Formats: sequence, structure tokens, C-alpha cells
Amino acid sequence: MIGAAKRRLTSPAFAEDAAEEMVASRSFWADAGRRFLRNRMAVVSVGMLGLLILFALFGNLLARWTYEEIDWNLLGRIKEEGGPSLSNGHWFGVDELGRDLYARTVQGTRTSLMVGFVAGPVSVLLGATIGALAGYYGGRFDRTVLGAYTIWLAIPYIIFFVVWQAFFGRSLGQMILVIILVNWTAGLLIVRGQVMMLKNREFVDAARMLGMSDLQILARHLAPNILWVVVIYTSLVIPEVIMAESLVSFLGVGIQEPNTSLGALISAGAATMTFGTLWQLAFPAAVFVIAQVSLFYIGDGLRDALDPKER
Amino acid sequence: MLNYTLRRLLMVIPTLLILVVFAFYLMRLAPGGPFTSERPLPPAVMANVLERYGMDEPLHVQLWTYIRNILCCFDFGPSFAQKDRTVNDVIAQGFPVTLTYGFWSAVFVLLLGIPLGIVAALKHNGFWDYTMTGLAIFSQIFPNFVLAPILVLLFTLSWGLLPGGGWNGGQWQYVVMPAIALGTSYMASVARLTRGSMLEVLGSPYIRTARAKGLPERTVILRHALKPALLPTLTYMGPVFVYMITGSVFVDVFFSTGGIGQDFIDGAYSRDYSILLGLAILYAVLTFALTLMVDLLYAWIDPKVRAGLS
Amino acid sequence: MLSVETLRIRFRTGDGLVHAVNDVSFRVGAGEKLAIVGESGSGKSQMALAVMGLLAKNAEAEGRVLWEGRDLLTLPPAEMNRIRAREIAIVFQDPMSSLNPYMRIERQLTEIVEQHEGLGRAAARARALEVMDAVRIPEARARLRAYPHELSGGMHQRIVIAMALMCRPKLILADEPTTALDVTVQAQIMQLLSEVQRDLGTSVVLITHDLGVVAGFCEEVIVLYGGRIMEQAATLPLFERPAHPYTRGLLRAVPNVEDPADELIAIPGSPPSQRAFPTRCPFAPRCVDAIESCRLTLPELTGGRACLRPVEELT
Repeated sequence: MIGAAKRRLTSPAFAEDAAEEMVASRSFWADAGRRFLRNRMAVVSVGMLGLLILFALFGNLLARWTYEEIDWNLLGRIKEEGGPSLSNGHWFGVDELGRDLYARTVQGTRTSLMVGFVAGPVSVLLGATIGALAGYYGGRFDRTVLGAYTIWLAIPYIIFFVVWQAFFGRSLGQMILVIILVNWTAGLLIVRGQVMMLKNREFVDAARMLGMSDLQILARHLAPNILWVVVIYTSLVIPEVIMAESLVSFLGVGIQEPNTSLGALISAGAATMTFGTLWQLAFPAAVFVIAQVSLFYIGDGLRDALDPKER
Repeated sequence: MLNYTLRRLLMVIPTLLILVVFAFYLMRLAPGGPFTSERPLPPAVMANVLERYGMDEPLHVQLWTYIRNILCCFDFGPSFAQKDRTVNDVIAQGFPVTLTYGFWSAVFVLLLGIPLGIVAALKHNGFWDYTMTGLAIFSQIFPNFVLAPILVLLFTLSWGLLPGGGWNGGQWQYVVMPAIALGTSYMASVARLTRGSMLEVLGSPYIRTARAKGLPERTVILRHALKPALLPTLTYMGPVFVYMITGSVFVDVFFSTGGIGQDFIDGAYSRDYSILLGLAILYAVLTFALTLMVDLLYAWIDPKVRAGLS
Repeated sequence: MLSVETLRIRFRTGDGLVHAVNDVSFRVGAGEKLAIVGESGSGKSQMALAVMGLLAKNAEAEGRVLWEGRDLLTLPPAEMNRIRAREIAIVFQDPMSSLNPYMRIERQLTEIVEQHEGLGRAAARARALEVMDAVRIPEARARLRAYPHELSGGMHQRIVIAMALMCRPKLILADEPTTALDVTVQAQIMQLLSEVQRDLGTSVVLITHDLGVVAGFCEEVIVLYGGRIMEQAATLPLFERPAHPYTRGLLRAVPNVEDPADELIAIPGSPPSQRAFPTRCPFAPRCVDAIESCRLTLPELTGGRACLRPVEELT
């Protein structure tokens, strides 16, 4: 579905629809806001995501254990007594090492959301900036960027990702950095297309005649008109980034222990489910699914609200 | 067309070169190496080992040797971490595995995704249409690394129908789950895409013309609608194959198939430079070959594109 | 031959029903040429689609469309397919998009006779060449190998007409056959249609918004407004003595070549909303001659005109 949405975003037809839409006006965003609020699934999803963020931020207040503490009492009897329990304070049970799964899930949610909400927007901004410059200046710069883009797409990102993680350490910062580096192409093509459409409009000519510099034109006149495209694209990239992080963590080259992420927790849970400790898979997977579902519907709602064709 | 193919093939060379150079320096400039361990080797031994693998020479000389060996003798060098095995050995052993279930997975994606999409479009708003929408959302939410454990949970742990991992020479029982886990989400995307484009084509003027000719509905769909409806799907197959190659790394690891994905992850852990480089080249070549294949297929189907190429 | 009786076509849309065609009746005899004239949205194309059984899924058709005694509206699909192209053929308005861009011209022509007459490839090909010759397509042999995008707009329309002629149908529905074309090509295509009609004795229903096209071509004209027949008359009398205010308005809007000083007058207002079945004269809101009763009663078609006011009283 994300694929389909992205294809729509990069189609020439969309570029035209979008360019028709002069959206620097305030009423555009107000209208879009109203349309978004009418979309029930999207609003519910915002609520769910809000709860998830609260869970990530303040969930620890409810935890009786920290995410790295080992409950020695349960070690060796995890299968029998390590399940979710109100009496011993392990709301979600413990993991295969006897650490509190609730605290770990909070920690993992924190990592995953952080990665998504930092790396996602930053990589779109990076791609958008490069795309805007390429579209605005055209010529050799544009050709170079497009060439690099094509070559980059031909390399499965996982190669780069895994090698980088394995070689340069596995901190949260490294993780975010490598995701941004891998995703520098996000939003590039579409913003480039938009800028190419818009730069020939009268209002840009007018600005140029007023003596504004290229940078000023880009920032003041073009950026507001492509902001909404960037917003849609970001909403598509965030769940993808969370997914990528989880996949890499699943492969064992993600975040360094004892820190964790949802992907790492799902991986650990999947590895031990043969022993009947299903809760170790169920809780992180449920949180992951909730995050993905709500992000999906929010993106859907944003698209409906902002895309001129969907109205 | 031939011209175009040649031009595309020529593009492979600089791309691979960039990839190799980039990956080579990236790995080498990172701290640590294949022979760093908890207990450092005595300097004399270390020097010996390094000399044996040619790692005592300057980096650019090593890079040149590496490239020259590939060009002259298709020799990707010895593995650093696996004793007495060359990169060629490792690939020769693991690649057929990945290729086998990858192939079946692609068959699964196309043979299920396309008909499902077509049926959903023809029975617009009917049972299959809703089933498919459900499936699409499902696959969005359950990526392969969530789906795979669930599959194992059901088919292996609960019902005992299929083995939960291993390869066993590629017996069909061992291929089923890797292929499904790898393909499901793309199958859903393909179905959705096919449905959308089929609906669009069915509403187009030239389909109305075909109906006005008095052709039976079956002929209208098979002869007139199918080809254009499949074009968007075909374009999408390029990226899908790339994603599937990526996903295969996960499947190899999760199902312990012994495919190249596992070698890749192991190589990353043990800093096995030559394995990593060799596999990176393999993945990139695969990506190139598949996308080129898709593009050529597209040109073969769409006369306008074909005209544009020659 | 073709007899349409109180045809009604409705569309179910997101905002309720749209009444596109309301109680339209007409007949077309063998070899006759009838024109249906109306503005866009007057329901004229929908009538052609209804005859071919090609209405959109959200459309409902009531009344009868009798073709040699059989009602096409209730005919099972398989039998309808035997009539399409073989007995009644249609030429759609947009030739550029009416051809399948992914098939060679040859296949798009030959499949028709292969389907209906069971001809083999070679015979079908010979027929295609013959018909292409009849519609004056030069280098027909080479064109057979071409894909639509390699041909010009006029050539597209000729191919589409050739398609309609492949089985020598008894009736051709030509839905705005020239609107998408250049003016010079328009004249050629109309010329072609009338020659083909003359040579084969085919009946033609010409659907158009352009009264100018009608003048030289058809014997009889139906003027449609708001999905209803406003006036029905032989071509010459209609042009000389239009008997309905709407027809008069239309004729005033056609440039007169002989008298350039003649003022062009547009009809004020816009076509009616078709949300409800009309209960009053649909043209009344735009009519210069409308009186109070026009806004209250629905005029029936009598003596070839549907107007409450006598001809003598019209301005």
C-alpha cells in the first residue's frame, strides 16, 4: 500500500495536480485539518499513537523493574513462572534472561519511535533539500543527483545497513545516522518534480524581479508550496523506517544490548517461542502492530486530507 | 532494444566499481578486523597472517589486486573467517538455496497476487474484493519478520505440518514457509496494484470499443484488458525483486536455510571483508539483472516504450 | 428497423439519481439517416450506449429498444454480442482513446470478423484491407502492422470507422465522430461517412452537438434538451422553419457563412439539473418565449414539437 501511495506521489499526473494547488494560503491547512478530523480511523489512530508515545515516555513510572535488571528469583523457572503476573510486578512477564519485559517493551518502544520520528523526518528533509536544489538548478547538478539516485536504488540497502552497524558500533545515534544515510533518496524525486513545476510560475518570476536570491525564493516561495507533499511523504517514511530498524535489529545487528528495540524484542521472542514462552513474542509484536496500524491510518488520513486528487 | 540493453549493461560496470570501492574503504577504515579478538595475537604471528592474506600492503594496492583477480580469474579471494574456503565456495553453496526459495516465492507472489487482483477487480465490491483489501492491510501490519514467527507457531508448533527451519537439500516442505514468509506482503501489494489498474483499464474507452465489437467478456478481458492492466504491476516488480533480495537475508537467518543471507550476517560479525564484498557484488548484480529483466519485459509489452528505446 | 420507445435512462450517483434520458422515442428505417442533436449532457451519447447495451454499471434503462422486433434492453449478453458490430456498429467520439494502444491495428480489425463470421486469419486480413481501402486509408498494408500511437488523429478515426464497417452492419451509430478532429479532417470524415452510407445502404444515427454537421448529411433531425425531445423534423424544414424556441436558439448560435453580419446569439443560462424527472418544460428557465404555464406543465411531443406555445407566437 505504501508502494502504491509512493507511486502515486511520483507520477507526473500527481505533479500536475499538486502544482495546480497553490497552497501557501492559510485556508488550505485549515481545510486539510477539517478533512483530516472527519476521517474517523485517522483520528482514532492519532489517539492510539498518542497513547503509545505516552507509554514510551512515562510507562516506566508503572514499572517495578528497570529494563536491564535480572530477576534472579525467576531464573531457571521462566517457562513456569516467568509469564505475565500482577503479583511479582512483571506485567508482561520476563524475557529469556529474567529481565522485566514490561520495562523492556517500554524501552524498545522508545527506541523504535525515536528512530522513526527522528530518522524519518530528517531523511525526508535531506532528500527534499537535495531534490529541491536539483529541480531548481537543473543542468549538470540535476543529472549528477539523478545518476546517484539510480545507482543508489540499485544497491539493496540492507548491505550498507548491516555493514555499517557491524563495523561502526550499534548505538542509537549510529542507528539514526545510518538510516538517514540509507534513506537520503526519500522524497527526492517528488520534491524535485514539484520544484521543476513551480519554478516556472509567475510568482517565482515576480520574486526574481524583486531581486530575491535563489535561496530566498526556495525558502520563502517554493518551500511553503511543497510543504504538504513533504508532510505526506514523511508520514509514509516513518513506518518504513521503524520497520527497517526492526528488521535490522531482528537480524542481530541493531541496537546494542541491554538497550533494545521492538524488532530486537520480537526477534528474541520468536527465538524462544519453541519453549512455550509465547508472551515474549506477543507483547512486543502487539505494540509493534499497534504502532504500524496507527501510523498507516494517519498516513492514509493525511493523504486524503492533503492530496488534491483524493478529495 | 539491443542497443538499450547494452547501454544498461554498461551502466553496471561503473555502479559495481563505485560499490566495491566505497564498501572496500568503508570496511577497511572502520576499527577492528577479521583477526582482532579478545586475546590479541602476538605481533609476529599477526604480521604473518596479514602477509598471508596480502593485508600488509597499502589499501589501494589491495583493492587493485582484488579487482584484478575478479576480472582475470573470477576469483573473489579466500574467506577470512572460514578456514580453507573461498568466497566462491561460500556463494556456490549458499546461493542455490536462496535462489530456490526466492524463485518459488516470486512464483507465489505472481501466481497468487495477479489472479487475486484480477478477480477482485472483476467482482468489484464482492467477497474477493474485500478479502483482498483485508489481506493488503494485514500484510502492511505484519512484515515478514512478524509473519515468519507466526507461521512457525502455526505450521510447526501447533499443527506439526512443516519443519520450522533447515533446508534438507531443498525438499518442498522446507521451501514452503521461507517462500511464503518472503512473499506474502509483496503478493498483497501486487494483488492490490493489479486490482487498481484492472479497474482503471476496464473503465477505459478502448475496452468499451472491444465490448462494442461483440466479443465475449472473456476475450475482452484476456485479449484487451489483461496486458495494459499488468503493466503497472510489472513496473512494480522491479522494486519488489529488490525488496525480496533484501528480505531473503532475514529469511535465511530466521529459517536457518543455509542461504547466503546467513553468510552475510556472519561475515558482518566476523569482519570477513572478502565475503562481505563478494556478497555485496552478488546482491547488486542480482538487483541489476532483475530490474533490467523487468524493464525489457515492459518494453516488450508496451509498444510505445519499445518505440522509445530504439 | 430500430425503434426506440419511451426510453428512460437513470444513473445512480453519490448524490442521488440523475435522469439522463426521459421518455425518448424514435424510429430509424433501413437506409435512413437520423441526426440526434443536443448540448453535452443532454443524454444523447447515453442513448447510443443503451442501444449497444454498453451503459455504465450504475445506469438503469427503462422502455424498449426494439431491433427487428427484439428488445435489446432485455437480450441476454450472448445474443447481444451477436448483434454488436455485426448488425449495429458504433463509432465512438474520441478516436484517440477508442483504439487499444497495446494491439496492432490488424488484430483490432480482424478480431471482429473472426468473431462474427468465423473467418480465418488470411480472410480476415483481406477483409480488413478491403475495408481500409473503402475508408481511404493509404498504405493499408503497412498500417495494419502499426500500433495506434503511430497514427494521426484523422487516421485513428478512419480506423474506427473501418472497425464499424468490418461486418457491413445494418446500422451505424456515429457518436460525435468528428469533434476530436481538425476542421479540415472533420469535413473529410463526414464526406467519407456519407459515401460509405450511400454505397452500402447502411442506416446511420449521427449524434452531434453541431447543427452544421447535420445540415448536409441527415434527412431527419431530433433535437434533444434535458434528456427530452424538443423537436423532431425533416432536416430542411427544421433549418428553414424551426418550430421550437430551443432549436431557434441553436440555429442563432451557428455562424452563417452567407451573411457574416448576422449576429450570433448564445442561449442564456446553462443546461438543467437532472436530479428529478422533469415535471415542467426543461427549457423553460432559458426560454425567451416561456410563459407561466411553461413552468408548470410538461409539454408532450405533438406534431414534431414539444412546446406549449403555438409556432406563430414564438419570437
